[in-house]
Amino acid sequence: MNKKTEEKNWKLSYSQMIWRRFTKSRLNLACLIFVLFLFLLAVFAPFIANDKPFVIRIDGKFYFPLLRNLQPSDYCIFLAAALTVWYLLRRTPNGGKLNIKNQISKLQCKIQKGMPDSRYSNFAFLYVILLFAFLFLIFVLIFVFVPRRLDAVDYKEMVASGKATDAIFAPVPYGYARTELASCRQPPSRRHWLGTDDVGADVLCRLIHGSRISLSVGFVAVGISVCLGVLVGAILGYFGGWIDFVGMRFVEIMMAVPVFFLIITITAFFPRSFLNIMIIIGVTGWTSNARFIRAEFFKLRRQDFVQAAVSLGLPLRSILFRHILPNAVTPVLVNATFGISSAIFIEAALSFLGFGVAPPTPSWGQILSLGVSTSGRFLWWLTLFPGLAIFFTVMAYNVIGEGLRDATDPRLSKAV
Amino acid sequence: MIPTLLGITIVVFAISRLAPGEPLRGTSDEGRGTSIVYPRLDRGPSSIVWGLDKPIHIQYAQWLWRVVRLDFGDSIRHHRKVSELIKERLPITLMLNAIAFLIIYAVSLPVGILAAVKHGRFFDRASSAVFLMLWSLPIMWVGQMLIGYFAGPTFKNWFPPAGLSSNYAEQLSFLPWLADRLWHLVLPVLCLTYTGFAYLTKQVRASVLNNLHSCYVRTARAKGLSEPVVIFKHVFRNSIIPLITITATLLPAMLGGSVIIERIFSIPGMGLLAFEAITSRDYNVIMAVATIAGVLNLAGLLLADIAYAIVDPRITMDD
Repeated sequence: MNKKTEEKNWKLSYSQMIWRRFTKSRLNLACLIFVLFLFLLAVFAPFIANDKPFVIRIDGKFYFPLLRNLQPSDYCIFLAAALTVWYLLRRTPNGGKLNIKNQISKLQCKIQKGMPDSRYSNFAFLYVILLFAFLFLIFVLIFVFVPRRLDAVDYKEMVASGKATDAIFAPVPYGYARTELASCRQPPSRRHWLGTDDVGADVLCRLIHGSRISLSVGFVAVGISVCLGVLVGAILGYFGGWIDFVGMRFVEIMMAVPVFFLIITITAFFPRSFLNIMIIIGVTGWTSNARFIRAEFFKLRRQDFVQAAVSLGLPLRSILFRHILPNAVTPVLVNATFGISSAIFIEAALSFLGFGVAPPTPSWGQILSLGVSTSGRFLWWLTLFPGLAIFFTVMAYNVIGEGLRDATDPRLSKAV
Repeated sequence: MIPTLLGITIVVFAISRLAPGEPLRGTSDEGRGTSIVYPRLDRGPSSIVWGLDKPIHIQYAQWLWRVVRLDFGDSIRHHRKVSELIKERLPITLMLNAIAFLIIYAVSLPVGILAAVKHGRFFDRASSAVFLMLWSLPIMWVGQMLIGYFAGPTFKNWFPPAGLSSNYAEQLSFLPWLADRLWHLVLPVLCLTYTGFAYLTKQVRASVLNNLHSCYVRTARAKGLSEPVVIFKHVFRNSIIPLITITATLLPAMLGGSVIIERIFSIPGMGLLAFEAITSRDYNVIMAVATIAGVLNLAGLLLADIAYAIVDPRITMDD
């Protein structure tokens, strides 16, 4: 790099540099925007595709069926999305700018005066645990206090028969669980933009609600696998010796077990539930993360800053997770992106084989499995559209993963 | 290696026995896991026959003792010896995977080398884009689309939708039988191969790129060797070293993928056997398939280590 880019890079933090390298390619940006679009689709699914109208006037009085019938899981998803957006967009205290000279001189003043050098108190660990417990409590309270309403009124029929006037429906006015056997197996038409499946449910509506399942499985499964892998890898990598030897034997056993076979076995044997699938995919996929973290920790534990932290008497959790881990996390980040795409693919494969989420919960793989019937009849709209959805989602995450891998490649900072 | 194998069998055994469900009561319909939990059958006559009334660790010890003598027991669902079932079905899966392997290597090696040699130019970028797209295609979607568009009555009817041979295949002499078998294999092998292209081409390209900037390549060119000789005689040999470990990891991945393919195309191989065994809780078959998959896995890793030591004389076996 020439001197000018080097000077520009001095003011940037590591993540800002990676962001710049990542966004240089328009394909990466496009895939990121697509993933964002999927997120919006998943979060606002009940407002986009619902068979209840936003507002309907019956006998002169206004009713709001859609808003009344939001399930507790919808509220949880709104809350989780809001928290994620707040976390990603929050301003760091210095406005994100790096000013190393100022920070060093401030630290020196504090040490001279004998003041605590960290913004966080000694009990920060407990405060974080309390915060997570509080959030968990809020989610539990949502499930306890939001009533589960089952409203089976056919509002479209009311509008058609004239009992109700002036209704505003969602853009895709069908419910994902409403079956209409009269119009099953219809090809795409003006009424059903992507056709109907074998019980008469609208395919577009089921695709939109199915994106919720896919994305949640992707993120939660990868979250579990990253947490497990980081924990195991950090301990194995930092301590080495016989702990590493015994631990690596366990990791090798987990790696040698045929993964897909194990997943099918577990999902077939245990009761089919959404949570089970997420946990299983997470618990079978942590070994590569553990190996990456272990390799990085091996490299980093002999560095000076680790010895300084040990000699200062910092607790083990602080050394591992606040000092070494931020330096070791980049390959895991790249692996996590590929893990999301692979988790989405595994969930679709499980639903295709019949082991995934139970109907009527929509899943892309389940719609896919209806495409070719046993008599050989091929319903192309049930194969093409869910397949395209899975394909675009998996490809977007793969492109983002490749882009991240290229952006964090240390060799690129030397070669142009 | 033996502890790893024991570990695999313990994991699969624990999962299969500690889960709700029962092999001797009813059958679940094909393709759907049963969600009804039957109570555990205790000490009925058929459970004593199958050895299911003893405590779990005794069952595991008995199973282990039999497996050491290569007796995998009887299949509850098929009422035959498990070793016979495996002898019938394993060659089919291995044949599918071997053909897919050959095709993947035959395509990926040239494309990867060419992409590395023409680094940064159109062929390189186009091939990586195409292979990335191929990698992202879900296997069951491709299988369904191929069956729907090329093997069905609605569109083209070029290939058969299922099976390994036609119904009349036994009456054919060898060459027509072979042609018929290959005609049946086209679509399944196509599904199995395309995922491997992207991964392997990327590794080949990275490996060759690594070696193209070495000093010995400069020496070879300075000596006056022609470019193909430089690449195929010097660079290629050094580049395939990392590929050997990848070969070891590619095989178990394809065994996993063949479960879906064999289900879609109704090919009677190990994947379909495992799938049916899982849905009907056929414990002996599940354990046998898990053991064999684990053995193949470990054998592949061992072979990769040995091949590594043979190909690269700098690596000795005592590491």
